[in-house]
Amino acid sequence: MPKQDFEDLKLEIKRLREELHQKEEFLRERQYKKLQGKNVYNDQFTTEEIVRYSRQMIMPNINPHGQIALKNSKILIVGVGGLGCPAALYLASAGVGEITLIDYDEVELTNLHRQILHSESDIDIPKVESAYNSLKRINSHIKVIPLRLHANSLTIKDIITKNKYHVIVDGSDNVATRYLLNDVCVMNDIPLVSGSALQMEGQLTVYHYQGGPCYRCLFPVPPPPHAVTSCGDGGVLGAVPGTIGVLQALETIKILTNSSGVLSGRLLLFDGTNTTFRNVKLRERNLKCDVCGENPTVKTLIDYELFCGSSSHDKVINIDILKCNEQIDIIDFSTILKDNVVLDVRPKIEYQMCNLPNTVNIPFTEIEKDDVFEKLNKLFKNKLADGIKNVYVLCRRGNDSQRAVSCLKKKFSESPIIFYNVKGGLHAYSKFVDTSFPRY
Amino acid sequence: MNVEVKVLFFAKAREVAGKSCDILSVSSPISYLQLLEEIVTTYSLADIKRNIILAVNEEYCNLDTTIYLKPGDEIAVIPPLSGG
Repeated sequence: MPKQDFEDLKLEIKRLREELHQKEEFLRERQYKKLQGKNVYNDQFTTEEIVRYSRQMIMPNINPHGQIALKNSKILIVGVGGLGCPAALYLASAGVGEITLIDYDEVELTNLHRQILHSESDIDIPKVESAYNSLKRINSHIKVIPLRLHANSLTIKDIITKNKYHVIVDGSDNVATRYLLNDVCVMNDIPLVSGSALQMEGQLTVYHYQGGPCYRCLFPVPPPPHAVTSCGDGGVLGAVPGTIGVLQALETIKILTNSSGVLSGRLLLFDGTNTTFRNVKLRERNLKCDVCGENPTVKTLIDYELFCGSSSHDKVINIDILKCNEQIDIIDFSTILKDNVVLDVRPKIEYQMCNLPNTVNIPFTEIEKDDVFEKLNKLFKNKLADGIKNVYVLCRRGNDSQRAVSCLKKKFSESPIIFYNVKGGLHAYSKFVDTSFPRY
Repeated sequence: MNVEVKVLFFAKAREVAGKSCDILSVSSPISYLQLLEEIVTTYSLADIKRNIILAVNEEYCNLDTTIYLKPGDEIAVIPPLSGG
């Protein structure tokens, strides 16, 4: 199918969807007109609202006052991913009056296993737009404001000065944004419902709530960038951020309804491997804290990427540490793949997931070990005897393979073997050689 | 006096230590900084030494305290998670 046809089809689907949406609204308005106006039985809610929220409103914990509080609340959710999606879903369903969503990314196929507001037909559209559509389908009474932007000091400052939020929900995926949101919350006196997840683990707490500690009280200095694992590299099981995101919604509702029992001054550690929840009692607010202490040194928002030494997103930043003659272009590589020695240095599991034929897997972590010399010599003995001296090193994106080449070069300085890095790795292979190779 | 305590690892500490828990023999009483040093050295956590919370029996340890440990106490090593 030519590219133009794809675009035409996409446009037609979009137009039909809008038409469907309009017709559904039209029907709803006619069908439920009587339920949506004011009624003589309660002047705070429409008939439909009372029925819709009745299951939570009849509990003493929420009651009509709590429901009114939710209706009058404005919250900000930063990150509409694995945490933000379930959090937003439950907050919208519960009737939080105004929800602003911030995210810069577009929906990708790799998001769908955990980011439950997005569907297959949303791929390549902005996450905030996809989330907006999903939330409005569930609750058309509330106001959802999708903001497609990158959260940084400038953008957040602008939004915060124009709006008074009752809670900020941190569903971000990087250290810099976490410090940014913490400082914003302290400086503007807003509770921060902070969740995070990776692999099978999750963490949850509420910062800067009723005199409780902030993120900096606990973690005054950011971790070194190389010690931070992203979901893209470490992986994550969807139900784990799902669990934490849902609990973020719960804590937010408790704060908005002025309920007791908010998870402040305590850190919840969720371990999905054995389904344990641990509640660690935290320190009190640090009077010497840089931002919420008695004499704060951080009084305005700073450059958080600089402070953390890392970018405010979880994308991998590519390295370039080799010379031109130590590398091979992906197209050239694809033509010689069959008759050469190719080392794939990805972790074993990733190799099992998908691999190029005629390649050998030695994970990067093994390359650094001392016995790699014997291992490779054994592996390549026959090939070397045949006069093959070139070894091509391959990985997911072409970064670990560069590190591997540079490490192997030193270890094999006495050997006739020449190591080459395959530029751009399997991502480039999928992009330029064969799109049916899974780009993950 | 040395006591045997249970060390629980979370997030990056679990990845680096290569296990989710371990039994460690440490002296008691011990200062927070000594305990941190002992754990960091034993489990090669130097990289994240400044980004760890230690909690004894699910309670945060203040940096300037002396800790009295009993056999079987649980020490949680908690770095922050940032993914989402």
